[in-house]
Amino acid sequence: MGDDYSSVWSYRLKWLYTLLVVFTLMLPVFYVIYVSFNQNGFGAAEYVFTFEWYGEIFSDLLLLGALGNTFILAGITLAVAVPMGLIAAKFYKATEAKLLTVSLLLSPLFVPADILGSALLVFFKNLNIACATIGEWLGVSWFDTWFELGYFSALVGLIIYTLPYIFVVILITMGRYNEQQTEAARSCGATAWQAFVQVEFPQIRAGVFSACAFAVILTFNEYTRTSLLKGGYDTITSVLISQMLNEGMSEQSYAMSSLISFIAIALIGSIILYTLVQSERLEREARAKAEPVMSG
Amino acid sequence: MSQDIAVQVTDLSKNYGPVQALRGVDLSIAAGEYFVLLGPSGGGKTTLLRLLGGFIRPSAGRILLHGIDVSEQPPNHRPTSMVFQSFALFPHMNVAQNIGYGLRLRKLPKVEIDERVAAMLDLVGLGDLADRMPHALSGGQQQRVQLGRSLVLETDILLLDEPLAALDAKLRKDMCLELKHLQEQVGITFVHVTHNQEEAMTVADNMAIIADGELVETGTARDLYENPRRRFTADFIGETNIFDGTVTGVNNGEVAVDLGFAALTVDDNGQCPNVGTEVSVSIRSELVQILRSGIAVAADQQTLTANYGEAVYLGLATSHVAALPNGQAVVARHVSTGLALDVIAPGSSVELAWPRSMMRLHLS
Ligand SMILES: Nc1ncnc2c1ncn2[C@@H]1O[C@H](COP(=O)(O)OP(=O)(O)OP(=O)(O)O)[C@@H](O)[C@H]1O
Ligand SMILES: [Mg+2]
Repeated sequence: MGDDYSSVWSYRLKWLYTLLVVFTLMLPVFYVIYVSFNQNGFGAAEYVFTFEWYGEIFSDLLLLGALGNTFILAGITLAVAVPMGLIAAKFYKATEAKLLTVSLLLSPLFVPADILGSALLVFFKNLNIACATIGEWLGVSWFDTWFELGYFSALVGLIIYTLPYIFVVILITMGRYNEQQTEAARSCGATAWQAFVQVEFPQIRAGVFSACAFAVILTFNEYTRTSLLKGGYDTITSVLISQMLNEGMSEQSYAMSSLISFIAIALIGSIILYTLVQSERLEREARAKAEPVMSG
Repeated sequence: MSQDIAVQVTDLSKNYGPVQALRGVDLSIAAGEYFVLLGPSGGGKTTLLRLLGGFIRPSAGRILLHGIDVSEQPPNHRPTSMVFQSFALFPHMNVAQNIGYGLRLRKLPKVEIDERVAAMLDLVGLGDLADRMPHALSGGQQQRVQLGRSLVLETDILLLDEPLAALDAKLRKDMCLELKHLQEQVGITFVHVTHNQEEAMTVADNMAIIADGELVETGTARDLYENPRRRFTADFIGETNIFDGTVTGVNNGEVAVDLGFAALTVDDNGQCPNVGTEVSVSIRSELVQILRSGIAVAADQQTLTANYGEAVYLGLATSHVAALPNGQAVVARHVSTGLALDVIAPGSSVELAWPRSMMRLHLS
């Protein structure tokens, strides 16, 4: 809020400016939402309000299938990468080799999407050839298709991609946690697992949930790695992009994009709100602790 | 029961990489005793306490608690519980939930937990704060909750690592006495780490001095203050004048020590130094008197000639500093009476005198 002497108006102006920046950034999204309610679709001269396209999302099998695929990818990525990120963050706090750990974990961030995607593509293709060759030698065929492009390879790409973000987000909240509380719990008779679940986790929950949301949103957004490693244009982003590159987006696609935007904005909005409230509380506590301890 | 040994530690060592935090410590603590580990910062007190609690693994040596070897056991399998310096309350649980945490882990019936938590709240004087969150408590109250959380478990041994260090001086004094009374009431073994002498003296039945990773000396507060065996102990506890010298003769329990500029005769206190050994002799500053030269002293007094330096007023006491011929400063400390004393001019020659029987000999 600034100090007692700063002007109320400078404070209000800062807020106004912030809102303006956010609004400008979100303008294209608002336009898509606007179009999605138009009977006549994109670029039409006449605007007729309708919910029709939203109704048709559910009859567009291509889009529905893509949404399903994306959710499967997002769900599995989240289920695998978030625990991995959590373990990595715990390891980071315990290890002495912090620099090495953090460089290794963040390295995927510094590899461009298409390079990582094509590297993995080559890797999986070679693995396939190797599997087939070995299978031929041994005269068996049951592991020929293990590493074929598909869900598995796309998931590997997505997990590598999301892990650094998840790691960092969790580490930030974990940094505030006081390790002594784990020891206190242990000396009260808790096992290491009980201490984690009952004492540490409730305090880093905000970070873990943010990491989950991050994983889902990143998966929804991802085009390069997913399309290189999965093949078949059957996730939300790849469907939308392929439509745009070919015949132009269908009206339902606008509706679908809007829907996803609504969900994403609601999700991120609530996370930000939750985090703000949480950090406000933590700060209050920190202030209370910092106050001199008086007799009595 | 009171003859039982609660803690028996043999040849205990702990290394952190190249740092030897603890070296070959042997220690035993009787059950039901209030035991204090006292020593300078970095001496290894916390390390020893954490080894007892099972938070770190010994590099060598054994730990027996009530006769059972727990060296390889995790904290939750040991008959100990621990009170930390600060910030160790669970911030997402209120006072009652914090205190009841260990009981819930034991899956006791809710009625029993509530009963025992309420009784504990009364014992530690927090009866009306059961629903408060930790951040809304003062430092002293937080430490009481920690105490309650540990005591309610009725473990045999309570470990306390500088439990009062975060409190102001006045509150620390009050809580010290409270801790002592609490321990007498519950009757379990307390092992309390501190680097504050007054705190240690207030609560301890027995204490150990730990410095530089080694156990220097153990004994009651009175033993260590009045009859220290080691030079370190004499120096560390209270304010002491220490003279280094060489043994020139041993005769019938009396040791003659040459300081270079004067000679002292001191009781050997059961130690038998050889002639020629380097030793130290100590005398507490409150036993030293400063006399104008020429005043007659009793035969049982040891005297040394010195040059008066200055007086430092400290409230309760006034310290007088004088310099020996070799330049060493000697401190004489006396309760400030408020009466105007005749002032000694700085630089004038004075006699320092103290009872011979109160000097202590230190071989190491
Ligand atoms: N995790 C660690 N890694 C490396 N060295 C350590 C570690 N913990 C403690 N030490 C070292 O071991 C020695 C003893 O530490 P310890 O914490 O036991 O001292 P202490 O007596 O409790 O001191 P204080 O009164 O300051 O708390 C110190 O030199 C310290 O630097
Ligand atoms: Mg310590």
